[in-house]
Amino acid sequence: MLSPVTNPSASSGEFCSSPGAIEQVRYGCSLGALASVIAIPGAIPITHCGPGCATKQFHALSGINGYQGGEFHVPSSNLGNQEVIFGGADRLDELIASTLKVMEADLFVVQTGCIPGLVGDDVGSVVRRYQKRGVPIVVAETSGYRGNNFTGHESVIRAIIDQFVGDDKVDKQPGLVNVWSLLPYQNPFWRGDLTEIRRILEGIGLEVNILFGPASRGVSEWRAIPRAQFNLVLSPWLGLSTATHLQEKFDQPLLHEPTIPIGAKATSAFLRRVVEFAGLDRARAEAFIAKEEQEHYVYLRDFACFYAGQTSQYQLPSQAIVISESAYNLSVASFLVEQLGLHPGPFVITENPPNEFRERIQQQYRALADHVGAEPLFEQDGHRIHELVRARDYTGQLPIVFGSTWEAALADQIGAPLVEIGYPCTDEVVLSRAYVGYRGALQLIERTYTTVVRASTMA
Amino acid sequence: MPLNLKNPQVETRDQRLGTITQWEGRADQLVKDSAFTYGCNKGCDNGGRRLCEQSTPFAQASMCAEHIAVTNATIIQDSVVVQHSPIGCAASQSFTARYYRDLAARRGWELEDPKSICTNLGEQDMVFGGVERLEQTIRDAFERHKPRVIFVATSCATGIIGDDVDGAAKRVEDEIGIPVVTLHCEGFKSKHWSSGWDVIEHGILRRLVPQPPTKQPDLINVIHLGGPDVFTPLLGPLGLRVNLVMGGNTLERLAQMSEAAATVTMCFVLSYLATGLEQEFGVPEVRAPLPYGLDATDNWLRDIAKLTGTEDKVEAVITSERARIAPELERLRQALKGKRGFVAAGAAFAHGLLADLRELGVTVDDAFSFHHDPIADSGDPQQDSLGHLVETWGDVPNYTVSPDQHFQAHAALLRAKPDFVICRHTGTLAVLAGRMGIPVLPIFYSNDGLGYEGLLTIGRAILRVLPRKRFYDDIAAHSSFPYQPWWLAETNPYAAITEPA
Repeated sequence: MLSPVTNPSASSGEFCSSPGAIEQVRYGCSLGALASVIAIPGAIPITHCGPGCATKQFHALSGINGYQGGEFHVPSSNLGNQEVIFGGADRLDELIASTLKVMEADLFVVQTGCIPGLVGDDVGSVVRRYQKRGVPIVVAETSGYRGNNFTGHESVIRAIIDQFVGDDKVDKQPGLVNVWSLLPYQNPFWRGDLTEIRRILEGIGLEVNILFGPASRGVSEWRAIPRAQFNLVLSPWLGLSTATHLQEKFDQPLLHEPTIPIGAKATSAFLRRVVEFAGLDRARAEAFIAKEEQEHYVYLRDFACFYAGQTSQYQLPSQAIVISESAYNLSVASFLVEQLGLHPGPFVITENPPNEFRERIQQQYRALADHVGAEPLFEQDGHRIHELVRARDYTGQLPIVFGSTWEAALADQIGAPLVEIGYPCTDEVVLSRAYVGYRGALQLIERTYTTVVRASTMA
Repeated sequence: MPLNLKNPQVETRDQRLGTITQWEGRADQLVKDSAFTYGCNKGCDNGGRRLCEQSTPFAQASMCAEHIAVTNATIIQDSVVVQHSPIGCAASQSFTARYYRDLAARRGWELEDPKSICTNLGEQDMVFGGVERLEQTIRDAFERHKPRVIFVATSCATGIIGDDVDGAAKRVEDEIGIPVVTLHCEGFKSKHWSSGWDVIEHGILRRLVPQPPTKQPDLINVIHLGGPDVFTPLLGPLGLRVNLVMGGNTLERLAQMSEAAATVTMCFVLSYLATGLEQEFGVPEVRAPLPYGLDATDNWLRDIAKLTGTEDKVEAVITSERARIAPELERLRQALKGKRGFVAAGAAFAHGLLADLRELGVTVDDAFSFHHDPIADSGDPQQDSLGHLVETWGDVPNYTVSPDQHFQAHAALLRAKPDFVICRHTGTLAVLAGRMGIPVLPIFYSNDGLGYEGLLTIGRAILRVLPRKRFYDDIAAHSSFPYQPWWLAETNPYAAITEPA
């Protein structure tokens, strides 16, 4: 058992960047938010860090995590002895100047790693000189020891909003929404999911700044952020600080939906809440929901044949164990319990959410379905997570694990199939697959029960 | 210069070997410059000049020594690696785990995840130091997994704040009674990631190889980058047993290295270990050029035979192996006739692949090497693998040294217009080539091209990927790279970055 290490500087409510030693890591460092920049079409990160930092972050978050690929040709100062001893600000200046000569982008985001933070480079003043010349460039402090790629993501977003989008309050465009949801690349299914989220929101009459991924129009969406009627935070906590900031900065109201909806029941209810909040045309929204549900339930009706055991002898799982970051954890747990009728098992949240949000996250789990709740656990260390899960009694149940690559051995030990839903996800090749909304739910069912069938037939 | 094994920190290859990472020109010039500057003590009249590293103000993300050192420590069985670093350095755990599982399946080991723990340093540790947490993590690693060795890897952050990692390791080692081996691998300390090989080999030499109780005259150490044992089929007929080390091995294999009759290194980038074994334990290092291509393989076997007293068997092996592969080699040469190849890999390994391709009848006028070592640790000119390549197979007119820089590789590929690319360290180059409409053969397990069989392995693999041009052409027509138009047209990887923005 690893000894818990308390953070002397972290009072409650503050993000504890270093909750103790970790085996089987499940997130990157702050610099890993360069993946969020790469996720914005037309944006390029410029990394001011050691020679291996940027590559390691992106290859971990993208390369081997669902084999997502992506535009990786990131300018980097690749700091060496000289810059550690004499400082690296001049080297960064040289790198930015040459980047502008070689590369083309709508937006450059300078990100710092551990080295400039420790040697004290004045990165801000280097970047400001370019900003004064009108170069679309911002700087975000993302030293690896300051946090993880979740908090780095919010630092990067804050930098773009404050240094690039600007301060001008503009007229609002009714029906335009900024969406803050899944962490790009960290969640292997973010591309398909954001596409589905965009699709269903457009379906009820909204115009959407989805901001990241193939479904985004890129930097022009970021410029349009101040025009939005409201901000939608579709995650348990990530994006809340961004949306709160925008609320103050641009008087934009904020709708917080902690659970990304999976399946018709949750999705239709979610859409109706958005319709009420934004004051949209109800009839139009209901027409969309009706059409979606009609198609969706044809598939569920037919899936019921398999689920009821009509032609099969498989032992279907009865209890859900979910080990992942909170956004997918909460969504998948809700779907499995409320819509598929599984018993709740251990739910372990792995991304070290800031303390101030934990109570609110716990509340969500206490009402997964009528009269059914659970207490989620917060733990980052793989070894301890597996001890916690193994310690539960599964007598009479057939558990199924939704987790990461690290859960393969655990799943074997407790005789459960494993569906990979989170980082690191090395046994899935993911392109546009989605697991949320109406269409994603069907794919999640497909993947889940294909896994179950294969586990039965191959054992 | 003898290797200094007293110091826990290895001297970087930049210092030991004059390693450079940026250069552009003809390979024969690089050979002469290297010898002029390092080999014959300045002033020998070989037509060389002082070797000068080029530079460019623009740079893209590369790799670091920590990555190599930690990966290769992690895949040693019965070990736990403690990364004393902020969490980001440990992002490699997932791909190292994949690598380990693949190795385990190939080697018949238990299929499990390798053990590595990150101390996960935060801001307060940067201020107050992380030594206490390191000591506790080493203890916890021992309690959790009961390993037989624990490696402790440093990071840029702990190097800068100056944590006494060696002191911490020693204190806990005395408590728990197993070796705690420090790996000083701060990424900023060397220009090139291959220094990570030196770091892990230094740690192994210092701590995991005992003075030999006996000698095993039929045992030969084979130091390799990773992959299947392609050596036993070659060396078995000589009556030799292969002790395959690095690239995933057991502590027993490491320990018995000092008992072996000789050491061969399959990529001279890793030759620190072989040089150290000769220096510390008197195990001779085979210095013949590496077995890439028919003649080189013949000579390599003869050299091993000489060192191991098996000269009576070697000619028969050579004759039968050559005869065995001849028909298939001929078929492959016919199929590859007229093709142009492009090689991208690290130094000696790139030189080996170049020889293989030329033996297969492929035209290769362009190569992209991720670094260049002007000399080997042995100081022996026989280990000048680029010199040997040029001498045997002729010049490589466009020889680029670049630490896997995407923008430079783009220019080099545009100049070369090859029919295919063969590459290692596939992070940048593989997809770049593909997206330029060029079929690519990525090499993960670098033993693929070795010896007689290696020619067949590589030739067949190339033929498998050539039809993928249809896919890559389609992608190339529908995607672009975010470079300025002038750079997209540039064919000199080291063209001056002077265009106005």
